[in-house]
Amino acid sequence: MRLLRQYWALLTMNLAGAPARAGLVSTLIIGVACAVGVLVSMLAMGVGARQEAMGNVRPERVILRSQGATGVADSRITKDLALQLRDLPGIRRDAKGAPIAVSEAFVFIQARDKRSGSRLGFPMRGITGELTAYLPELHLTSGRMFKTGLRELIASNRCAERFSDFKVGDRRIMRGGEWPIVGRFDLGGTLGNCVVFGDGEAILAAFGRDAFNQVDVMLQRENDFEGLVKAIKANPLMKVDARHEAQIVADSSRQLIGILDFVSYFVGTIMALAATMGAVNSLYAMVDQRRRDIATLRALGFNGLPIIASVLTESMLLALPGAVLGALVAWALFNGTAASPLGASFHLQVTPALGALGLTWALVIGLISGFLPAIRAARVPVTVALRAV
Amino acid sequence: MKFFFLIWSGIWRKPARTTLILLQVALAFALFGVLQGMKSGVERAVQDVRGDLLLVNPAAVGGTPLPVAHLERLRSVPGVKSVAYADMLIGTYQKPDQIVAALALDPSDEWLTLAPSFFKVLPKDLAALHKTRSGALITVDVGRRYGWKLGDRVPVKSLTPRVDGSSTWFFDVVGYIEDNEPGQSSLIAINYPYLDEGRARNQGTVRNFYAIIADPHQAAAMSERIDSTFANSSAETATASLRESAQQTMKTIGDLDFAIRAIVSAVLIALLFSISTLMMQSIRERVPELAVLKTVGFTDRHVWVMVIIEALTVCVAAAAIGLGMAMVLFPYAAKYVPGLSMPPSVLLTGLLGALLVALIGVAFPARMAARLPVVAALSGR
Repeated sequence: MRLLRQYWALLTMNLAGAPARAGLVSTLIIGVACAVGVLVSMLAMGVGARQEAMGNVRPERVILRSQGATGVADSRITKDLALQLRDLPGIRRDAKGAPIAVSEAFVFIQARDKRSGSRLGFPMRGITGELTAYLPELHLTSGRMFKTGLRELIASNRCAERFSDFKVGDRRIMRGGEWPIVGRFDLGGTLGNCVVFGDGEAILAAFGRDAFNQVDVMLQRENDFEGLVKAIKANPLMKVDARHEAQIVADSSRQLIGILDFVSYFVGTIMALAATMGAVNSLYAMVDQRRRDIATLRALGFNGLPIIASVLTESMLLALPGAVLGALVAWALFNGTAASPLGASFHLQVTPALGALGLTWALVIGLISGFLPAIRAARVPVTVALRAV
Repeated sequence: MKFFFLIWSGIWRKPARTTLILLQVALAFALFGVLQGMKSGVERAVQDVRGDLLLVNPAAVGGTPLPVAHLERLRSVPGVKSVAYADMLIGTYQKPDQIVAALALDPSDEWLTLAPSFFKVLPKDLAALHKTRSGALITVDVGRRYGWKLGDRVPVKSLTPRVDGSSTWFFDVVGYIEDNEPGQSSLIAINYPYLDEGRARNQGTVRNFYAIIADPHQAAAMSERIDSTFANSSAETATASLRESAQQTMKTIGDLDFAIRAIVSAVLIALLFSISTLMMQSIRERVPELAVLKTVGFTDRHVWVMVIIEALTVCVAAAAIGLGMAMVLFPYAAKYVPGLSMPPSVLLTGLLGALLVALIGVAFPARMAARLPVVAALSGR
């Protein structure tokens, strides 16, 4: 109890002196703010990329690819097989009673970038089946849906932003024919990359192909997945792997997010170390300025333990405003900013969770940097006080 | 000399404080060095990419592949020196996640000059591959992960079916290649004729051609010329030089520059504050000493210069240490980030930055030291 009282007295004394040491205090705060600000801003990229990738994912959506396919490119689902897959159990049915399942043929084509004029690739997906039933987040913003069997395309709004010749009414020349853009769409909250949809049969025929890449199905409920897998296993002719959409999306974005997070923590750690050095220096100076006060208190019978505790608490409390400042600046500057590193496009997202992470880092920086100065404070000899009298 | 001694003792007046500042500045500039080195490394890597090597890809990947018959027409395009081609067989070894990416090379010796843009191969290894139809050259990484060694006959399961109906391809490991891409590699090199005659689908097609042109400055025009040669054919092409493709990739890293600038600014702001307040603190503690110096004849300007040189020495030395640390780290990081390098320009920018930070940070403390009234200082007021 006595120690607690001493601790409290010391802490209030330390903090009351802060305004008089504005220079040192602000150095500590700004150092922490810079470290936390950079960490939070950089991690916001990973959060944004994750949100961009997973934003539209639904647990009921399942993707069927050839058994053993390493990706969409080497997966091959024949038209016959695609038809059989539609009748698997557990698939949700639309108002007309038809299963919600679409067959997709992927073709990677190129278009001219508006700004640089260079050619960039993006996927064109040939769809057979009710696309809007499978992708309810798809909203046509202008024009209309492509018609079955015709060489017509709809393009995401992102295509028109990035590439030339993607306005509704534009005609793209492919395989010796004209493919008019008949509609434009967006996909809900995500920024999205350029995606073009067209009729599956038309695209298969035009590109000389006889098979789709994959079949996408919408399940009744998420836990109908087991039944679906069992039914596939029971039929030896169905050589397909079923995986949740979430898993496929997570797999394909894991590398990007991994790189972003690694770089964030690498840079963040170095900045935190530098901030710690700066904070230790400031705290040393603050403790040195208080030597006489501390020695006097020691002479009055104050214990070493409360002194250490009070300095540690002080350093952590001083680091907190730095963290808040850093996180706020990161939020104000970068929240919602569009970024496109490594070919991915997303909005940076400074979330409360990141803010909390920033606070934790700040507390750790405060704790570590307070350690040595706290010990120094506790070892101030009593004679310092007596000599000063 | 007396100045040097005074400055030196000024620097080490509080060894702990100076060590911490040194560490802080060194860390900041090590970070600066790594970030800038990464950027300049990527830029240089793009510059080093061959400009005379055109990749002739199908206009639509996933559509009909390019027929190998395009070869003769490509060779006859004026300005094209030589042409090679390759296909790719994707498969797995034993487990679905043990991927094997087999690049099937045409039988020409062109690969001796072509290969370095993609992987490193010794002439004797390439000769061994050409001699063994079912041969394969593997990377050390693949050998280690899958347990393959010279002389092994390895099965690769693929979704590319064989004419005999099976889906397993056998290869004889006859040599080694070294992948240019860092990280986990799944690359092996095999013979195109073995793949093409063995597969049930897409016989007589290739993934892409490699056209070497006489004049690298004509790369863009030559690409257009090649594409127009095959325009409106059943297999249209999309041609780009390897360097142009690398530049595309560079652009996708685009925001790197902004991020680096933002991080470096934050680092410098924190440093400025640190140096400025700690120098202030140091001057305050040294008031009596400085007053004595002035009493024995040092002018205000002398003191001013001394304080500035003190800060400059610490900052520039620390920056040099930090940049040095980054350079020492680079060979280790090169495994993960290709082309890391520290050109003299980065080194110079770093040192100049340190100089600038020190000058700005010390400006106010130095002025304070210079204007110190002697009488007040000595009397302890």
